[in-house]
Amino acid sequence: MLAEILPEVSDAQLERFFQVMLTQYGMDFREYAPASLKRRIGSVMRRYGLTDADTLIQRLVTQPEYFERFLNEITVSTTELFRDPSMWVALRVQVLPQFVSLPQLRIWQAGVSTGEEALSLAILLSETGLYEKAQIIATDIDKRSLEQAAKVSYPLRQRALYEQNFYAVLPGVPFSRYAEEKEGQLVFDPQLLRNVQFLPHNLVMDSPFGQFELVMCRNVLIYFTPSLQDRVVTKLVDSLVPGGVLVIGTKESLFWCQAAKRLTGVNEAERIYRKRA
Amino acid sequence: MSTPKRPFLWLMGGSAGSFTPVRRFVQQVPYLEEVAIVLCLHRMRNPRVGMIEAFGQVERWKLLEPDDKAAVQGGHIYLAPADYHLLVEEEGYMSLSVEEPVHYSRPSIDVLFESVVRARWPYAGAALLSGANRDGAAGLHLMHQAGHFTAVQDLTDAEIPTMPQAALDLFEPTRRFRAAELVQVFLHAVSLYK
Ligand SMILES: C[S@@+](CC[C@H](N)C(=O)[O-])C[C@H]1O[C@@H](n2cnc3c(N)ncnc32)[C@H](O)[C@@H]1O
Repeated sequence: MLAEILPEVSDAQLERFFQVMLTQYGMDFREYAPASLKRRIGSVMRRYGLTDADTLIQRLVTQPEYFERFLNEITVSTTELFRDPSMWVALRVQVLPQFVSLPQLRIWQAGVSTGEEALSLAILLSETGLYEKAQIIATDIDKRSLEQAAKVSYPLRQRALYEQNFYAVLPGVPFSRYAEEKEGQLVFDPQLLRNVQFLPHNLVMDSPFGQFELVMCRNVLIYFTPSLQDRVVTKLVDSLVPGGVLVIGTKESLFWCQAAKRLTGVNEAERIYRKRA
Repeated sequence: MSTPKRPFLWLMGGSAGSFTPVRRFVQQVPYLEEVAIVLCLHRMRNPRVGMIEAFGQVERWKLLEPDDKAAVQGGHIYLAPADYHLLVEEEGYMSLSVEEPVHYSRPSIDVLFESVVRARWPYAGAALLSGANRDGAAGLHLMHQAGHFTAVQDLTDAEIPTMPQAALDLFEPTRRFRAAELVQVFLHAVSLYK
């Protein structure tokens, strides 16, 4: 029994998949890292009880109403409140102080998934007195995740982990200041979203859309090939004001990225960089 | 595009009861510059750091948790980072992913083994050690079917035989081994591809 081995997608099928996504839906997946992408397609096939990727591709062609759900399922939405607490501590100690004297604080969080990362930042900014002047644009390719994010409501089983991360970043601040259990869900204070805007944006296809003091893009680049990482990081760095700060995922690197030349390390272990003036 | 020479890939997967034999292996295995080793061990989610240090002194090999898209290089021992799946790509580098756990595990041994087969990696071998769940069995089977050298720890030797047993339920590997023979088994697997 090979229950854990997902249905396979051939190279030719993958090619057809790319074409459909590109021509019918305007989304380019050709430079997503193939190992994980094939697994994602395989896992969608298994969920739908399909054994042949051609059937899935055919559905994408004939039933566009499937598309949003499909996109939600092939993207990896895993996230946490204050994922990697030590990064958030470093952000607080090494980066936020430089924003204190600014009149406004523009922030872009790319690939924000179901919104926990935006809440983490909103909480941290509240605790450091920076929230009022902040404007957070939180984007993702996946509209369903963004709809989820706007609800500020999460499964209760996440509570232990979220609370543990929270206290690792903000010891002494009561978690109940920002979240409570309501009708079997963990619900955050909707006021945290006052200065947050969730918008669909595709890092591969869409242009950068502003200038920001802080850009965070964590655990999205891992799904891209090195050459696509290079192009996307260029967009991220282009979006920073001189002296602005970029944060990527803890296990992501700028090794393949030309734009790394325009950055210096603030805290390399936590993958926090500053754009040269 | 020309394919650069791929190192021989030696994979080791294990869970509860595998750390001690894997650690001993890492300390004893002779350095081979044409071999890359990937370790996928289930571990406690916290702490996320300190795992490399737990292996102690390692001679000549470079032991590290790879970043995403790091090239697979000979003379290196890669440890799959906590809370990420590690997948080998056909282009010769490793990808990390946070997609859902497999058999409650991230990193998952099945995900690693399967990726090596899907990537059509030319030379590889894998060993599955002690553990309390079924992760790795199906992936090792897939490797076996792809013609790679596969080894499973002896049920009587494994501290917790569930994981090796799950593999043996599926197929008979190239080799069964006792933890004390791991280095020998590895050298044998490498010699087959020379
Ligand atoms: C693993 S989640 C990361 C969530 C959060 N940043 C974190 O680190 O916890 C990856 C997110 O990237 C998004 N994504 C994938 N491709 C994208 C693209 N081309 N443009 C924008 N977002 C994308 C996915 O929809 C998903 O929500």
